[in-house]
Amino acid sequence: MKVVVCVKQVGSLGDEVEFTDDERDVDPDYLDYALNEWDSFATEEALRLREAAGDGEVVALTVGDEDAEDAMRRALAMGADRGIRIWSEDLAGADPITIARALAEVVGAESPDLVLCGVQSSDAVQAATGAALAELLDLPRVAVVTKLELGDGSATVHRELEGGLVDVVEVDTPAVLTIQTGINEPRYATLRAIKQAEQKEIEVREPGELGAPAARVRRMFVPPKGEGAEMLDGDAAAIAARIKELVAEKMQ
Amino acid sequence: MPVLLGAEETRETFAGLETWEIVLWYALIGVSVAIFAWGVGRLVVKYRRGRARTPVGNVVERAVSTAKIVATHTWIRRRDPLSGLAHLLVFYGFVVLFIGTAILAFQDDFAEPVLGFDFWHGWFYLGYSLFLDVFGVALVIGVTVFAVKRGLLKPFRLSYWRPAEPAPPLAGEAKAYRLGDWIFLGSLFFLALTGFLLEAFRIAVDDPSFEVWAPFGWLAGQAFIALGFDGAAADSARATTWWVHGVFALFWVSSIPFTKAVHMLAGPAGVATKDERAGRTLLPLPPDAKPEEVGYATIDALAPKHLLDLDACTKCGKCHAACPATATGYPLSPRDLVLDLREVAEGSMGNRAALGISPRFPEHAEILGTIKPETLWSCMQCMACVEICPVGIEHVPIINQMRRALVERGEMDGQLQQTLETIYTSGNSFGEAKRKRGRWAKDLDFDVKDVRKEPAEILWFVGDYASFDPRNQLISRALARVLRLAGVDFGILYDGERTAGNDVRRAGEEGLWSSLAEENLETLAGCRFDRILTSDPHTFNTLKNEYPQLGADWTVVHHSQLLLELLESGRLRPRKGLGYRVTYHDPCTLGRFNGVYEEPRRVIAALGCELVEMPRNRDNSFCCGAGGGRIWMKELKPEDAQRPSENRIDEAVGLGAMDYFVVACPKDVTMYEDAIKTSGHQGEVELRELSELVLESVAPAG
Amino acid sequence: MKALVIAEHVRGELRPVTLELISAAKSLGGPVEVAVIAKDPSAFTDAVNVDGVHEILAVAVEQDEFENDVYQGAVEQLIAERSPQVVLLGFTVGSMGYGPALSAKLGTGFASDVFAVREEGGALVAERSFYGAKVNGEVEFPGHDRVVLLIRPTAWQPAEGAGSAGVTEVSVPPAASRARHKDWVEVQAGDVDITTADFLLSVGRGIGDKENLEQFQELAEAMGATLSSSRPLVDAGWIPNARQVGQSGKTVKPKVYLALGISGAVQHLAGMKTSGTIIAVNTDPEAAIFNVAHYGAVADLFEVAEELEKLF
Repeated sequence: MKVVVCVKQVGSLGDEVEFTDDERDVDPDYLDYALNEWDSFATEEALRLREAAGDGEVVALTVGDEDAEDAMRRALAMGADRGIRIWSEDLAGADPITIARALAEVVGAESPDLVLCGVQSSDAVQAATGAALAELLDLPRVAVVTKLELGDGSATVHRELEGGLVDVVEVDTPAVLTIQTGINEPRYATLRAIKQAEQKEIEVREPGELGAPAARVRRMFVPPKGEGAEMLDGDAAAIAARIKELVAEKMQ
Repeated sequence: MPVLLGAEETRETFAGLETWEIVLWYALIGVSVAIFAWGVGRLVVKYRRGRARTPVGNVVERAVSTAKIVATHTWIRRRDPLSGLAHLLVFYGFVVLFIGTAILAFQDDFAEPVLGFDFWHGWFYLGYSLFLDVFGVALVIGVTVFAVKRGLLKPFRLSYWRPAEPAPPLAGEAKAYRLGDWIFLGSLFFLALTGFLLEAFRIAVDDPSFEVWAPFGWLAGQAFIALGFDGAAADSARATTWWVHGVFALFWVSSIPFTKAVHMLAGPAGVATKDERAGRTLLPLPPDAKPEEVGYATIDALAPKHLLDLDACTKCGKCHAACPATATGYPLSPRDLVLDLREVAEGSMGNRAALGISPRFPEHAEILGTIKPETLWSCMQCMACVEICPVGIEHVPIINQMRRALVERGEMDGQLQQTLETIYTSGNSFGEAKRKRGRWAKDLDFDVKDVRKEPAEILWFVGDYASFDPRNQLISRALARVLRLAGVDFGILYDGERTAGNDVRRAGEEGLWSSLAEENLETLAGCRFDRILTSDPHTFNTLKNEYPQLGADWTVVHHSQLLLELLESGRLRPRKGLGYRVTYHDPCTLGRFNGVYEEPRRVIAALGCELVEMPRNRDNSFCCGAGGGRIWMKELKPEDAQRPSENRIDEAVGLGAMDYFVVACPKDVTMYEDAIKTSGHQGEVELRELSELVLESVAPAG
Repeated sequence: MKALVIAEHVRGELRPVTLELISAAKSLGGPVEVAVIAKDPSAFTDAVNVDGVHEILAVAVEQDEFENDVYQGAVEQLIAERSPQVVLLGFTVGSMGYGPALSAKLGTGFASDVFAVREEGGALVAERSFYGAKVNGEVEFPGHDRVVLLIRPTAWQPAEGAGSAGVTEVSVPPAASRARHKDWVEVQAGDVDITTADFLLSVGRGIGDKENLEQFQELAEAMGATLSSSRPLVDAGWIPNARQVGQSGKTVKPKVYLALGISGAVQHLAGMKTSGTIIAVNTDPEAAIFNVAHYGAVADLFEVAEELEKLF
């Protein structure tokens, strides 16, 4: 049982932002980095599959520079067996299709029984890498999986649609599944485990042919606030009183 | 009454016994001692199975201090002087009677036959008799006081009430414990009673006049004589009583290692081995610990000291009565935890295990499964239990070690996990960006030095709550203004500061604590300063007591100490006495952990305020409920139960009209501001932090 | 610029995003073709025949419901036959399953969660957000004469007005579908339908503890509101799925939406920003929810809740 999990180190902004000189991205100093929330659910699901099978390997893959190994280390600390990091300068700020191309070669070489990705990353929110990867590997795929049961040669998954409706899908395996939050409870990786994960092997590879990028960010900017909200002043009591007025007014 | 001196004032030791009876007697002594030795030996074997290690310290110093503590009963007398006195009586009664017997044995078995020296007569004998009689009665009085306490007064701490049912297969042995307690008391009483009867019968035989020196026995003897029970009848009764008393005594001695009586040995041993820094300085993990070996997951992971602690417990219940979790109804009682672990230890490594008696636990019982996780997570690590325990049990480090094992296995509540992950990512428990750490200082009308860039006399390690929580930011600014007024040269670390990690360590995430500590140490190594100031007692505790484990070598002061210094040296001058009537809550980590009780009080006095003490103050202060990482965990108390902080506010309100409830810890600020509202006392009591009071007093008018 | 819109439907109902896609397509100025891929396309062809649509392509397939491979195969064929410059899909769970795959296979340009598009000198420029909607970005597709875009629902108004497009039947060979629909699992019923409520009181991570939920439940009742929430509370199991507002939950449009302790992640905003009046309370002055709210207060939500409790 070999499961490949694709993880990403995502950046999150606080309430302040500055941009790089070319304005094509945010200044990294303003970002806090962590393992993408969806990917911790995917990693946890992979670990559970390995535990259920009694034997097997969970391989974590990431596309990122050296700093991105922190996120991977988290996956390794949770219990992934080894990691592979793919990087070249061309991959900086790359679109999901290009990322998928970088991943495809390595994933293919691993010949996994299952590939798990998160539905989306919290910074780019493209929700595309998983499906694109599946195509490049010519594997069946299901996006937004909230439940997974492996069978023989196929898997039964729940695909959660908007509004909560669940589509029960039978998918041939090997397959690529993008995992939604809430499918499980990701285990805690103690700092000790994270430190010890530094002993686990992370192989670094350069990507193969990336082809032309599918998109290019021309410029990033702070969205105009628009009229914005009318801010209510005063203490809690004053605010509550105003809210009551508004509710009475607007409910007519 | 003529008092004769000389060889007549004595008595025959084995009066009326045949040789074979004397031989039997010595044989029984042998058996009794052998069983006793076996029992003690088995205990030692059990303790040595423990894997962890606790600090040993200077053996001679420890022996001396233990002797003092035991002799003066200082620990036992705390918070219950009556029981303390009663125990003194029982203790010395027992000791004196024991020494009395030893003296006699020495006389009979060694001094006379070997040295030809017979001292047990004349003045010596009379003094001996008097002494033993008085102490015998003391023993009886002590035992009677205990019986009255236990049977009539029924204090809370002696009730075996448990806040929550134990997990199977633990039984929560209240009935058996109660029975054992009464049997123990009864057995002591029985020994004393038969001893006095023996004496009375002996005196009644021929009424030697010098026996008036054994007044109580003599009086009883006179009573028997008056009833006509003398001479041969008394002698026959004496002979029977002699055997009854003797055999029972021997039986009692042999049973010591197996009954409550073991506390006579384990108690002082617990006192002798107690780590003074237990709880406030947690022990680091052994560097090569495997995942299964992290913390206490199985009973044999406990340090020998902690295994000893389990047997030292006399079920006095003082920890149970002091614990804020127990008082609130959380599923934790420190006493029950110790007793439950004792069950497990006995059932897997003790005599029960060896003899196959139930309830048995499999080898190396998984204590993490047997003790409910909620029990361990309920602890606020406030040290009320450790602080009051008369036999030196270290409940807090034991719970902490078990938490380490839970964390290693990822078994903790979701909120705690989330918070630890947040701390890992952003270096603080609020999830705020690092650059926002120094924001609170922006509203000041002066610049606060960045101590990473310029040297300062005082490096103020602000802490999470004081940096990010809005109510506490007000206090930080107040303190900053005070320091400025006093002309103190201080600086802060701005975004270089990470949470010091005191509560992370107490929650059991040892790795995260050392990682935070290493980061902070590195930052501080690049700064030039004389002393570290902190306004957060939790930060104070770990920087002062635990960072040295990783090489730190600083002087750390709490702001109450610095404020007192400034007031006493005149660098801060109160404009006028504030004249408020206030009460003060001792923060656990400042007070119990670090003994800083007086400085905040002297600050309050220097400001011209009248301090009314909380009923539970200083070492008996009642925790606000935030400690041990609990502020990051979900609520475990029963729904309708009062929170510890509300309980405390009720206590404060009970003091009558008060201007302010004064605190010196940011978490207390948060917890008590909340509790004032939720306990329905808003308007009756107002909270002030120490810095705010000082600022009010020293700030220039206008 | 010719645009091809792929209609979305679930269990016999056309999804509103389809009409929004048509609006987006129209904004590019070129011909707009709408593809309906279904077992019985005629069930939807009328609904998509709105003003501005030039042609409707009815693709009949064997499968009752959406399946990745079926849609991908059909759209690939449509692209080959109709040569659109832009292919518009909704940024929905369905499209996530094949949209990016399509782009990877055909080597087109790609961007998802797009809320604005325009043509600049013959090339397409799309706008989307980054870093949790705190910044926006302009995306271009150099070297691509074909782009697949997944459009953010509610970013455009639904297209209206009767249209006069012709319907062309397109036949596609049966697809080997490797991920097959088997069944539906209903949303937990026995609970309220928040989409019909006039007044929603919505809570988010800001409420902290599961225990506190009761307080807000009571407040909602006292105020005459229905309780709803953002996704994290549903994930944690504190509140049933049926009350979830957001991209993966329900889209709501009550008269009043009172958001307490909700930061305003873009997925949540997507579900409620068209509400009549949005009032938000949050301790974070930079919370994204204030960008869509009509009234806001930076305050402690528990304090405000307590005060509200007294008033209602």
